[in-house]
Amino acid sequence: MNKLLIFLLVFSFFNGTGQNQEKIIARQGQVSFFSYTSVENIKAKNNQALSIIDFSNNKIAASMLMNVFVFEKTLMREHFNESYIETDIYPKATFEGEIIDFDKSFNGKQTKMINGIFSLHGVSKPIEIKTEIDNTNGNYILTATFETFVKDYDIKIPPLLAGNIAKTISVTFRFEYEPYEK
Amino acid sequence: MKNRKLILACFLIVGLLSQTNAQDNLLDILDAEHPNEKIFTAATFKMTRISYGQSIETRKKGTLETYWSYRFWNIPNTRTQSFFADKVSGRLALEYGVTDRFSMGVGYSNYDDLFDGFLKYKLVRQQPRNDGSPVSITLFQGGSYNGGGNPYANNNDDFNRLSYTSQVLIARKFNSNFSFQIAPTIIHRGMTAWPSDPTNTFAMGFGGRFKINGHLSFVSEYYWVTNPLKSKETFDPFSLGLNWEIGGLMFQCMLTNTRSLVEDTYLTQTPNSFNFKAPNINLGLTAIYIWHLKKKKHPPQNKL
Repeated sequence: MNKLLIFLLVFSFFNGTGQNQEKIIARQGQVSFFSYTSVENIKAKNNQALSIIDFSNNKIAASMLMNVFVFEKTLMREHFNESYIETDIYPKATFEGEIIDFDKSFNGKQTKMINGIFSLHGVSKPIEIKTEIDNTNGNYILTATFETFVKDYDIKIPPLLAGNIAKTISVTFRFEYEPYEK
Repeated sequence: MKNRKLILACFLIVGLLSQTNAQDNLLDILDAEHPNEKIFTAATFKMTRISYGQSIETRKKGTLETYWSYRFWNIPNTRTQSFFADKVSGRLALEYGVTDRFSMGVGYSNYDDLFDGFLKYKLVRQQPRNDGSPVSITLFQGGSYNGGGNPYANNNDDFNRLSYTSQVLIARKFNSNFSFQIAPTIIHRGMTAWPSDPTNTFAMGFGGRFKINGHLSFVSEYYWVTNPLKSKETFDPFSLGLNWEIGGLMFQCMLTNTRSLVEDTYLTQTPNSFNFKAPNINLGLTAIYIWHLKKKKHPPQNKL
């Protein structure tokens, strides 16, 4: 009985902490978005996006601060934060989802779908992202480009600027992961 | 045996708990990982002026602001044939951001015949988190040269035509919709019309901005002048206005009792009180356009 107890203890302990080591994190993820119109091209880049993958259930999450996006024109950054995204109220954009049919042991490039919920400006929408996963001996890099609609996230664009800001925004990300330790 | 069952149950619970711990919400883990770097409150006022007076905002590095501001009013009880308004007072100015915190500008206003120049430095920046400064502080130093002089003044030479204004602008953005500023001000005027008029004047400014929506805000400003001119009656300047901006273009529309557009004249020589009887109240219109002379280069992008 005592042996059984010890076994249970050890099992339950490893069962818990073992999964902790099966997480990988990206701390300097790059997220860019582009708006192309005939009037004006707007580009912004964030170099401090975070992402984490839990291998035990193939869950993935990402989070970024909106006020660290860098624009070519300084005034655009101010307008972006104050008039459109309302960073004071909604400081972050987050994603929570799952990599479908993910095989973590596969070495090389594989393309998988990531399904989940993207939250921006207080609005959460389900999205699907076709993502390229590059695994070179345990170093994972995730890259993807996807399109998103400004209208979906309740971002108001004044009619006068309707020609300057595209209705679909192209988002690109690149996350380089390392083992996660608490 | 009973004890053993209890212990067994305990281990099972511990095991379950450690398992649920391991499946912590991934977003909670990321929340703790966000770099704790300094973030400064942006857009306390958005424009470098609240309405007629300076705000704590400075132009960012490499941006040039072109500034056109006008006041329109009518002469009462006379039949005039002027189009739109009898009198116009205007100021044209340029303001350039040398660094993100330091800007300078020059301007000319026709009504007072003043050439003016100023330096602005943002000394302290408010941080939204509790560990930083609760307010933003900007130092303002302006000077003006009176081109027309004053035939009645006893000291009408070039040097005495200069006036200086020093301000400490202190503002706080209380929430995303409301900002408030106080502005202790000292004005030194080299030239006074009468010996009884003070050469040094002290004023205290109060200004606020209330955001109506993403692009439109309501502003109001008042300066309390402690020692006004003695040779003629002057009043404290007051304004009610709407500020509207879109892209690089900004508009101000205001009702105010001051006709002058440079600090030393609007604070010491506002001839009317704020009421709706002509010619006390002026319609003020300002147009600002911002040119980005230097664009930020994006950091080199890794191969995607």
